[in-house]
Amino acid sequence: MRRIYESEALTRDDEEQFTPSQRRSETPLQAMRSVNATALSRRLLPGWLRRRAISVDVSVPCEAFPLGATVPFRVTMANAMPFPVAFRTRSPILWAWEVDGKTEATRVPRDPPNEPGEFRFGRGERKRFEKRWEQLFRVSESEWEPVVPGEYTIGARINVDGAVKKGLYDETTVQILPERE
Amino acid sequence: MALLEVEDLTVEFYTQEGVVTAADGLSYRIESGETFGVVGESGAGKSVTALSLMRLIESPGRITSGEIRFKGQDILGMTEQEVRSIRGNEIAMVFQDAQTALNPVYSVGEQIAEAMRHHLGYDDREAKERTIQLLDTVNIPEAESRYSDYPHEFSGGMQQRAVIAMALSCDPDLLICDEPTTALDVTIEAQILAEIEELAEEFDTAVQLITHDLGVIAEVCDRVMVMYAGKPVEKAPVEELYYDPKHPYTVGLMSSIPRVGDDRDRLQTIPGTMPDLVELPTGCSFHPRCPFAEEVCTRKQPSLIDADRDGTLDADHVAACLEYTGDLTEGLDYEVVVEGSDEERVVEEDQNV
Ligand SMILES: Nc1ncnc2c1ncn2[C@@H]1O[C@H](COP(=O)(O)OP(=O)(O)OP(=O)(O)O)[C@@H](O)[C@H]1O
Ligand SMILES: [Mg+2]
Repeated sequence: MRRIYESEALTRDDEEQFTPSQRRSETPLQAMRSVNATALSRRLLPGWLRRRAISVDVSVPCEAFPLGATVPFRVTMANAMPFPVAFRTRSPILWAWEVDGKTEATRVPRDPPNEPGEFRFGRGERKRFEKRWEQLFRVSESEWEPVVPGEYTIGARINVDGAVKKGLYDETTVQILPERE
Repeated sequence: MALLEVEDLTVEFYTQEGVVTAADGLSYRIESGETFGVVGESGAGKSVTALSLMRLIESPGRITSGEIRFKGQDILGMTEQEVRSIRGNEIAMVFQDAQTALNPVYSVGEQIAEAMRHHLGYDDREAKERTIQLLDTVNIPEAESRYSDYPHEFSGGMQQRAVIAMALSCDPDLLICDEPTTALDVTIEAQILAEIEELAEEFDTAVQLITHDLGVIAEVCDRVMVMYAGKPVEKAPVEELYYDPKHPYTVGLMSSIPRVGDDRDRLQTIPGTMPDLVELPTGCSFHPRCPFAEEVCTRKQPSLIDADRDGTLDADHVAACLEYTGDLTEGLDYEVVVEGSDEERVVEEDQNV
C-alpha cells in the first residue's frame, strides 16, 4: 500500500516532468481513501504554493576574507507554512551549494544517479547547513587550484529545474582580498 | 583468480546535509583461505564496504560505481535472487553486536539448525547433530545441553561464538567479521580471535576481518588494508605494515596500539577526528591531522602507489601519500622502533620536522 503514495501517482504539479509511464491516470481509489491527511496535502499542493512556502538563504559572517582563508557560510531553508511541503528533485542530491556557478567549487562533473529524489520540509521547519569554502576550485579528480583575489559568488539551490526562477536559490558575494605587503 | 575482487567501489549516501561518500574508489582482493584485515577509525567506511559485498546497502545509499566479483561472478550484476543464494551461503557475516543477530525467542541451537535446514536442506535430525558439533567446535561447553538454551542464557562471548557457529554452519567461502569482538572484554576477545583464525583454517574459509584495532589485525591477518575517510590509504602484508608503515595515518594508528599496562585512551595519539564525509578536506583527506602535511597536501589528492623506496618492485605494499610521488619537500620523519620481545612494537614519531 505505502508504495503507492511514495510514487508520484498523486502528485498534481504541471511543472515537473513525468515520463508517460509514471503518469498513471487511474489512481487507485482504494489508495486515495487510506492516504493520510499530511501526505495528501503535501501531494496536492500546487507548485506555486510550495515554491512560495520555501525560502532559501545564503549568508556569510563577513563580506571580505584574506587570501587563503577558509570562507564559512550558512545555508538556511525554511518552510513558512503550517503544513509539510515536499519537492521532487532532479536526482537524489536534494540541494547543492556553488561558487561562481560551480557546484561545490568543483569543475569535475558529478554523475548523480538518474532518478528523482524527494526533499521534505515539515510544517514550519527550518533547515540550517554550515558549509565552508577553502578558496580552492577542484580542477580534476585529484587537483585543486587556489583562487586569485576578487569577487566570488556563493550560491545554494534546491535541485529542481529552474530553481532561480522559482525562488529556490539564493546567493551572496564575498571579496577575497589581496595579500598585504 | 582471487576469491573476491573489489574494483573501484564507490558507495554514496544521499543525505540532507549532502552526499556522503562512504567508499571512494576502493579496490582490493581476497584470496581463498586468506585472512584479510580492514582497519580504520569509526566512520571510515569499513561496514559500508562489507555490506556492499552482500549488496545490503539501503536507501539513501547507492553503489554508484565499481565491480565486485566473487569467484569471478559479478555480484552487482546479479538478480536479487542470485545474491540471496550467495548471502549466508557462500558469504557469511558476523556483526559487532551478537545480540542483534540472535533472535531472543528461539533457542540458540534451533536458530543455527534452522539456518542449515534452510540453506543446506538438512532434515531436523541432521541439522541438530551438525549444530551441536559446531557449537562444540566454537568451544561452547556442554554443547548438547546448551543447544536448547535461549540467547539470554549465554554470556556475551558465548553469544558471539554462537553467531560465528551460525555463520560457519553453511561452510561459506568468505566470512566477513565486522568488529566481532569490540563488545567483548579483552581476554574473551583474544580467545574469539584465536578461534576465528583456527576455524578459518579448518574450514578453509577466507576471512575479511574488520576492526579499528591494529593490534587485532596483527594477531590474525595475512594482509591488511588501512582505511581513512572512505579510501584505502595503505595496503600491505601484515608484517610489512608493522615493521615498515608507509602512511602517516598507519603510523598514528600504530602508536595508538595499547601496550600491556598502558591504559591511555587508544586514539588520543592521533590528534583530531575523522572529517565529516559530507565535507571532505581538499587534497589528501588526512592532511588536517597529519604532522607532516605541507601546502601541496591541501591541493593534491595522493593515489595508492608502490611505496617502497628501496627499488624492489613490490606492488603488494602501496600507500597513498604525496611523499611517494616526490611532492613533499620535508618528507616523512618517523621511526619504527622494535623493542624487546617480538610482541612489543613501538612507534615513535618525531614531530619537530
Ligand atoms: N544509512 C546511512 N545514511 C547516511 N550515512 C550513512 C549510512 N550508513 C553509513 N553512513 C555513513 O557512511 C560512513 C561510513 O560508515 P561505516 O558504518 O561504514 O563506518 P565504519 O568504518 O564501519 O565505522 P565503525 O567503526 O563506527 O563501525 C559514515 O560517515 C556514515 O555516517
Ligand atoms: Mg562499522
